[in-house]
Amino acid sequence: MINRGYCINYLLALMVILTLNFMLPRLMPGDPLQAIYGDEAMIAMTPELKEELISRYSLDLTQAGQFRAYIGSLLRGDLGYSYYYNVPVAAVLLGSFPWTALLVGLALCISTGLGLFLGIESGYRRGRTVDRLLLGGFMWISGLPDFFVGMLLLLIFGVTLGLVPLAGAVTPYTGQGWAPALIDGLRHLALPLASLVLARLTATYLLARNTMITTMGEPFIMTARSKGCSGPAVRYRHAGRNSLLPVVTAAGLQLSHLITGALFVEIVFSYPGMGALMYNALLTRDYPLLQGILLLSAVTVLTVNLLVDLLYKRIDPRVAYAH
Amino acid sequence: MLDIRGLTVRYSGLPVLKDINLTLEKGESLSIIGESGAGKTTLGLSVMGLVEGCCEGEILFQGKNLLSLKEEEIRRLRGREMAMVFQGVEGALHPLYTALDQVAEAIAVHSRKDAGSIRKKALGLLLSAGLDETTACFYPHQLSGGLKQRALIAMALANSPEILILDEPTASLDAGTKAEILALLNKLAGDRITIMITHDIHSAAYFSDRVAVLYGGRLIEQGPTGEVFKSPLHPYTRGLIRSCPDLSTTKDLQGIPGRMMPGVTGCSFHPRCTQRIHLCSLDIPEPVVTGGRLVACHRGGIVPLLEIKKLSKIFGKVKAVREVDLTLYQGETLALVGESGSGKTTLARTVMGLLKEDGGEFCLEGANISKRDAFFYQRVQMIFQNPMESISHRMNVLQAVREPLDINRPGDEEANNHLVRKALDEVELPGDQYFLNKYPHHLSGGEAQRVAIARALVLEPRVLIADEPTSALDASIQAKIIKLMLSLQEKRGLAILLITHDIALARKVSDRMAVMLKGSIVEEGPAGKLLGSPRHQYTRLLVNQSESPAKSMIL
Amino acid sequence: MHINYWGEIKRDSLGRAGMGTLVVLALLAIGAPIVSQYQPAEYTGAIFQPPSSQYWLGTNDVGQDIWAQLLYGARTSLLIGSGAALLSTFFSVLAGGMAAVLGGFGDRVLMRAVDALIAVPPVIVAILAAAYFRPGASMLIILLSAFLWPGGARLIRSQALSVKERMHIAAARTFGSSWPYLIRRHIIPDLGPVLTAILVLNFRRAVFMEAGLSFLGVADPTVISWGKMMQQALKFSYLEVWKWWLLPAGAALSMTIAALTFTGFALEKAINPRLKK
Repeated sequence: MINRGYCINYLLALMVILTLNFMLPRLMPGDPLQAIYGDEAMIAMTPELKEELISRYSLDLTQAGQFRAYIGSLLRGDLGYSYYYNVPVAAVLLGSFPWTALLVGLALCISTGLGLFLGIESGYRRGRTVDRLLLGGFMWISGLPDFFVGMLLLLIFGVTLGLVPLAGAVTPYTGQGWAPALIDGLRHLALPLASLVLARLTATYLLARNTMITTMGEPFIMTARSKGCSGPAVRYRHAGRNSLLPVVTAAGLQLSHLITGALFVEIVFSYPGMGALMYNALLTRDYPLLQGILLLSAVTVLTVNLLVDLLYKRIDPRVAYAH
Repeated sequence: MLDIRGLTVRYSGLPVLKDINLTLEKGESLSIIGESGAGKTTLGLSVMGLVEGCCEGEILFQGKNLLSLKEEEIRRLRGREMAMVFQGVEGALHPLYTALDQVAEAIAVHSRKDAGSIRKKALGLLLSAGLDETTACFYPHQLSGGLKQRALIAMALANSPEILILDEPTASLDAGTKAEILALLNKLAGDRITIMITHDIHSAAYFSDRVAVLYGGRLIEQGPTGEVFKSPLHPYTRGLIRSCPDLSTTKDLQGIPGRMMPGVTGCSFHPRCTQRIHLCSLDIPEPVVTGGRLVACHRGGIVPLLEIKKLSKIFGKVKAVREVDLTLYQGETLALVGESGSGKTTLARTVMGLLKEDGGEFCLEGANISKRDAFFYQRVQMIFQNPMESISHRMNVLQAVREPLDINRPGDEEANNHLVRKALDEVELPGDQYFLNKYPHHLSGGEAQRVAIARALVLEPRVLIADEPTSALDASIQAKIIKLMLSLQEKRGLAILLITHDIALARKVSDRMAVMLKGSIVEEGPAGKLLGSPRHQYTRLLVNQSESPAKSMIL
Repeated sequence: MHINYWGEIKRDSLGRAGMGTLVVLALLAIGAPIVSQYQPAEYTGAIFQPPSSQYWLGTNDVGQDIWAQLLYGARTSLLIGSGAALLSTFFSVLAGGMAAVLGGFGDRVLMRAVDALIAVPPVIVAILAAAYFRPGASMLIILLSAFLWPGGARLIRSQALSVKERMHIAAARTFGSSWPYLIRRHIIPDLGPVLTAILVLNFRRAVFMEAGLSFLGVADPTVISWGKMMQQALKFSYLEVWKWWLLPAGAALSMTIAALTFTGFALEKAINPRLKK
């Protein structure tokens, strides 16, 4: 059963985002079309095109009518028209979304898995050298903004050492064969992925470690040990299972950070995902494209959060039966 | 057989258990009682090899010393050869696995069987522990406290361990569930060694063959359950029993003065003990076997203060007291009840030397008393039925209370006056000049009896003989005087021989009772037992007499 | 909760390091005109100069002194960070406190709104809004606060609800005290530790977001900012210049955020005694 409360929250959040998307250009002083397309585009625009765009955005209607028309076109999958690329926004997004999804998906898996593992091991050995080193190290790393981590990695491994390519996701016009192509893709992916994981690992690690510390004091850990469970069984099956809960809860939030982080990291590495696209849109003031990118990111975050909430009920029986 | 020898456990240098020696035969059940912080749980954990601190000594089991085993070796034994049910039903089960899963895991850890047969066995265990097929598959949060405890017991018994350790198995359960769990434990214990850690002496009394009392990390008393609870040897054991109410409690609850403190030299109980001697603060008492029981006390347990042996008193042809034997222990109240003319007062007066005995002897603190001298009167004092009469009307309060001091330790008047004020303060009377100058006829009945008590206490006696101390007082005053006497007993370990004809009063204040009829003691025993199931018909008569008016009023 | 959290932070070595760094940064930011002989926007005429006694950290592509830019960047970071932290915490207290005090329907409506806003990814929406508004410093503070407050509001509500049940509040109510009085004299002081923690957390997020927005170049281009310095420096990564242009700006930003993290961590330890030992 899907909890109604969750859904209403996410629907409301979606409404907030849509309204913002709709309102922002219209809040600007002057012609909304000018706000949507920016000053440069307006100068180059022919009167016919302008007419067409006005009717396209229903700018001749009342505010309420405009909003209805806006939602309607969104439902048809019409995200607007990119002035700069001269194609519909949806088509541009489709080209770069998979790259970002690949980057963020991998980063989420790696940072959650690694963060859990390190957090559990570190919390289990609280106060010992390993724990102190890990904790201290992660505290420092957590201060680094993701784009700065990216720049450091780029400058060290790319520029100075020349180990990996500096930009892009694939090397154009290379030979055939899937194996070289895969290796090439991984070589391009390595640094952006590493910077995202490094920047986001701390949150998972700290969460897992803190839960681990409180869990290790629970009586059921003693019960497990008195059964004769081995050290790893106590650590993972008993204490670790408990530390998984807050980490999963936080995964939605984590994803939101990862997506925004990816936007920045992609800019640093010119990785052809939505981040690079956004940077370009910002530079060229391609507002419809910008709106589309942000709308897509926000909707992805909301969807994944909803999924996490649903998943959570499957791993915590207490929640499942409470509803 | 489980044999614990010289076990000492330290947490970061601080000893929690000191030199524990315990031997348990197959099939034996032992309760470890004591207040929180005594080290009970640590004892259980050290058998399981789960103690975080550092252990010395030996825990011998199946020919192996558990303390010298490697972690992996003892892990293989845990759950298979020894199992423990932990305190705190709420948290002891993992919240994310079903009861069945958790019991099955306990089996799977030590077994190579396939998952199906393990689950079947686990279900069987849960069923025999009182869950059913539905509840067995529940998560802990869906189970009641009692069912959780049953699941935990099933889990502990999963591999039928030789040793079962139960840490406060009934602590958080309500009375009905508690009884069910205890019955279940009794049924399932079988021929294994069972150790129950508890602060609840009723559970201990119900469940175990033997009791070990732990205080400040040391075993201070050990013996068969019935005997330990009926006649505790160590003052702490008695204090513990006195602090626990049950429906047959006769005497008011009495605490133990002070609280448990770490880092005490000598006997760990001595700061709270009312019969301590200088040695107690210096040396640790060795456990000594006395009558099949073990007690660790420099004084050999609760001291018999006053022993009366074959005492007789004859007035002409009337044998007022016939070969009476009575023993009064340190810190207890012995009520001597009987109708008027039964010889109670004569007995008291003979003890005090006011009448010459016609046979028999006395011992005071083990020493034979041939004549009543200052030594005797400084230790044994008496208060009389009518306080107004026992205080000379020519003496004011100061003089009256100081009289025993003037007689026994004449000299320093200022010091004696100070002692008088202290004694008056103890009986909750003012020590100002105005009150000190009052004469008996200025005092109310209650005040006069307090002055009499202060006068008896000013020499700091060990024994107080109180002959109908409240019969001349109003009921409301009586209650206060009795409470005063009991609080003095708790504080100073005073032994009180209370002579009264009022069974109801005796019931509220006495640990033991002796019934006197025509100069003889016809029945003697713990007050609750004696009144609950009187054996002598005269006792029954007395009990009925004091019950019936009250009963007829209520019914 | 009677915690001397100041003392707790001072006892914790990480907390001490964090607080110390913040104080040094604040002093440098305030004393920027004294510590640097150049104005950040001033063209010195020499471009891409390596560090020297004249230009401590060299100059950039248009000949501005990087050391001066770094110092004035600290001003921006700390100003916008603290401004947004204060304003968003004020919003949080307002919304959370009101929800707790109102209860019932008002509570449900407010919390529903908060839940919805928490689900909105703040940086993404902030980018969009900033792209339109091109905000200056004060506008940026308002913009960031608008996306930072919901998390704190939820925390404050739950804390205030538990505080509301405490004995001394009940006692004050038996004397007939009004809710404004209670909030001023009892609830807010009791919320002290949580408020401080939220303040530090929001400070950290605001510094982070400001840097991100100026890195994207969506903030007011006349404002000197570490994020903008990094954006511009990145364009010249093929030159040696990044060593004294990009790295100091990134390091300063990282240090500020780390200092805030340490302070927050020490605070959390003080509030949650289970993490201590």
